[in-house]
Amino acid sequence: MNIIVPIKQVPDLVEELEVDSSGKALDKEWLKFRINEFDDHALEEALLLKEDLGGTVTVIALDGDDVDKALYTAAAKGADKLIKVTGVDAELDNHKAAMALASVIKDMDYDLILTGVQAVDDLDGQLPVLLAEYLGLPHIEVVTGVKVDGNVATVQKEFSGGIVGEYEVDLPAVLGIQAARETPRYVPVAKVRRAMRSAEIEEVSANVGDVSSALAVERMFKPETGGGAEFLTGSVDEIAAKIVELIKSKI
Amino acid sequence: MHEHEITREIFRNFPLWMQVVFYVVAFSSIGVFLFGAWKRIQKYRKGRPAGRFNKLPQRFLKVLGIMMTHATLRKNYTYVGVAHWMIFWGFVVLFIGTCIIAFDHDFLRFFGVHLLKGTFYIVFSLFMDVFGVLFIIGLVMMMVRRAKKPFNLNYARVDRPEGKYDRSGYIRDDKIFLWLLLFIAVTGFIIEAARIAADGFPEFEKWAPFGYAMAHLLKSTGQLNAIHMATWWVHGIAVLIFVAYIPYSKAMHILVDYANLMFADKSTAKRLPRVPAEKMDKEGMGYVKLEDFTWKELLDFDACTKCGRCHYVCPARTAGAPLSPRDVILDMRMYADQLSGTEEWIDKQVLTNGGKAKSIAGDVILPETLWSCTTCMACMEVCPVGIEHLTTIVNLRRALVDEGEMEDMLQDALANIGDYGNSFGKPERMRAKWTKDLDFKPKDARKEPVEYLWFVGDYASFDERIQERTRKVATILHRAGVDFGLLYEDERNAGNDVRRVGEEGLYEMLAEDNIAALKSAKFQKIFTTDPHSYNTIKNEYPDFGGEFEIYHYTELLLELIRQGKIRITDKLKGIRVTYHDPCYLGRYNGITEPPREIIRALGMELVEMPRNRSNSFCCGAGGGRIWMDDSGLKERPSENRIKEALSLGDIRYFIIACPKDFAMYSDAVKTSGNEGKIEVKDIIELIEEAMEGAEVTAEA
Repeated sequence: MNIIVPIKQVPDLVEELEVDSSGKALDKEWLKFRINEFDDHALEEALLLKEDLGGTVTVIALDGDDVDKALYTAAAKGADKLIKVTGVDAELDNHKAAMALASVIKDMDYDLILTGVQAVDDLDGQLPVLLAEYLGLPHIEVVTGVKVDGNVATVQKEFSGGIVGEYEVDLPAVLGIQAARETPRYVPVAKVRRAMRSAEIEEVSANVGDVSSALAVERMFKPETGGGAEFLTGSVDEIAAKIVELIKSKI
Repeated sequence: MHEHEITREIFRNFPLWMQVVFYVVAFSSIGVFLFGAWKRIQKYRKGRPAGRFNKLPQRFLKVLGIMMTHATLRKNYTYVGVAHWMIFWGFVVLFIGTCIIAFDHDFLRFFGVHLLKGTFYIVFSLFMDVFGVLFIIGLVMMMVRRAKKPFNLNYARVDRPEGKYDRSGYIRDDKIFLWLLLFIAVTGFIIEAARIAADGFPEFEKWAPFGYAMAHLLKSTGQLNAIHMATWWVHGIAVLIFVAYIPYSKAMHILVDYANLMFADKSTAKRLPRVPAEKMDKEGMGYVKLEDFTWKELLDFDACTKCGRCHYVCPARTAGAPLSPRDVILDMRMYADQLSGTEEWIDKQVLTNGGKAKSIAGDVILPETLWSCTTCMACMEVCPVGIEHLTTIVNLRRALVDEGEMEDMLQDALANIGDYGNSFGKPERMRAKWTKDLDFKPKDARKEPVEYLWFVGDYASFDERIQERTRKVATILHRAGVDFGLLYEDERNAGNDVRRVGEEGLYEMLAEDNIAALKSAKFQKIFTTDPHSYNTIKNEYPDFGGEFEIYHYTELLLELIRQGKIRITDKLKGIRVTYHDPCYLGRYNGITEPPREIIRALGMELVEMPRNRSNSFCCGAGGGRIWMDDSGLKERPSENRIKEALSLGDIRYFIIACPKDFAMYSDAVKTSGNEGKIEVKDIIELIEEAMEGAEVTAEA
């Protein structure tokens, strides 16, 4: 069972986010980056499957902020192979990202691709879909459980209202993971340090041609706060009169 | 035999064949003993070095002193201490006496020398007689105690239900041990009495007063020589059975515990052993196999006498958690014995978990057992035989951390500390946000020299309820003219509890970062309100190259009061209060008096809780427990402690001197439904109230 897990680095939301002077992007100077939470779940699910069935887990990421640290952490958790895809600037463009990943993955040997259903910085849920499309594979999104039997995976998908759907999908396939069976594991600092010394990151350059989402950020800003609230005081009649007046003034 | 020579005949009336039989049996018994002892020594030799072979004469003499006074045994247990003293010294004197007989008869005889006669014999007789009686009294006292079924001697496990284990072997061995010794002692007196009676009550035998008195009881039976012969054999065989039995039973403590006390080092708790860099790099941090333990830790497992004192004081056990320090040690003994072929044949438990254990941390000691420990060190404090439970527990936790096996809450806390340097998951630059509401700005010790560097700690910095107290400390010190500064965002969690959780890699990172930050700052001394930070900076940072002079804020405040820089009014005079010793301040570092002196200086009436100073009861937050779920406990240790305070009757303030304690006890007062009956106060709040001048703290 060989599993590929594409991961992505996203801004750490613990830090206060600032928009840069262009007004179209985050000010990166003070930002910390960490693995996208859903990708962390995809990695956990992959590691659990590997523990059950054997095989390998390959973690692949586009080059970017603090990406080495994320890859080494994955190795410390139990990933067998680390790949960094260079030569592509796909920030917030999942068409480009998916094409870059697909161009590297298509020549690899794998049974399953698990990745986060979405990332906190794009919230479009498109990456798994596009990746499946470019690789010509079936895909299922918002997955909360995976069981593999031979060449078939039984996949659970959680709907609103606590209803769970169960699907069967032929392998290989792309699954967009919402949550792993278990909380992503803790990896002790010593293991990460060890991985930094011993694990190797393979660098592969990719060319995505002119693939693009054709979307551009127009403006990035913090939600504008409302004008505040006013407390009306007085007797019931007085308050009623004030309300009538307010409504009249708005019409 | 000459009627009036002052001595006794060895092998009285024994034909030669009987003597031969005796020696054959005696040497077989000693052989069985030596085999068992040798197997045990082989087991300890499997352990890693523990670095305890320095100062051997001092170590030996120290324990000799402990044996003379029974200082560790009688602490809080006078009855047991007295009984054990009598058994111990009875045993020692009778043993030495037997050795003298053997030496005299089996060695000196061949040189024509005979020691046991005349005055020497009389003194010998008297000693043997008196200590023989003390021995019997001690044994009977212990039997009476056991008959009363004290809590300490209840072997019920707390981590698995009855039926899943069988400890009847322990109880059986307790009985064998006591009855066998009593039988040996009583038959010894019967032999003596029969001999004295048979010899017609020689005058000098009055120096064996108890044997002499017993002889009067026997004299009417007639068959004195037959009684002597028969009892002699029964007694002799019993003694030789006992000798052979020692290394395979609880009697083993006779051999092991002197050594264990000699090599004991309580400071391993406050200064945990480092993981060798090579091990950390290649294998992982934790203990996973028997060879990972030091020989002292392997010796610890055999040293346990099941006295149950640790079981009794343990806050986890008290709270209904599945941890008993006693059982950790006993289970490790069982495991080590199974692997070493030193299985106790008599003194043993049987666990019905099926199959052999695969992992030590996990199968032999359950993860939930290891995680229950608050590292309060109460177990080590009360252990009369120098067992170091904590290094074993922490090293097994390290193995769990290696595998990432921990609950989610703890995992989040560690991840936060790794990412942001604090357990709250707040950005680093928020660390000194609490200073915003002060009416002055504390100096930045990274930029300007100060006398005192204040290591604030996570809880005092980030917990909103505690920030208020932190500001009071800042304001009062500022008013008193203390020149202090902070590390601001360069301070990290000190790591005391990270280390005790078992995350040694993260601890090393924190220690290295803090030491680097401290070294680049300009200050003379450190102070902190946090006993946990205090402990690791004082005792553990030196191992990482950070030697600093550090004080607890109660020490500093007391000094300021004495110097008159903080002037106290009698506003709080006569108020009845009690004080809770934080584990890491009192038990770990012996700072028990400064807070009490402050309380007295404020004129309050300090009423001590039964468990105070080094015997203090943990709040339940230590060792990383503050980052773990405590909803499964029957009664939180903090609630138990509040009840203890309330039992003193009409106490207004429950005084604390530790930021975590404020959080723990404020909650406990509410959850135990005692709001309004007692109020938790940081000692700084009382100083503020009693100070000359108006309210000093700028509130948020």
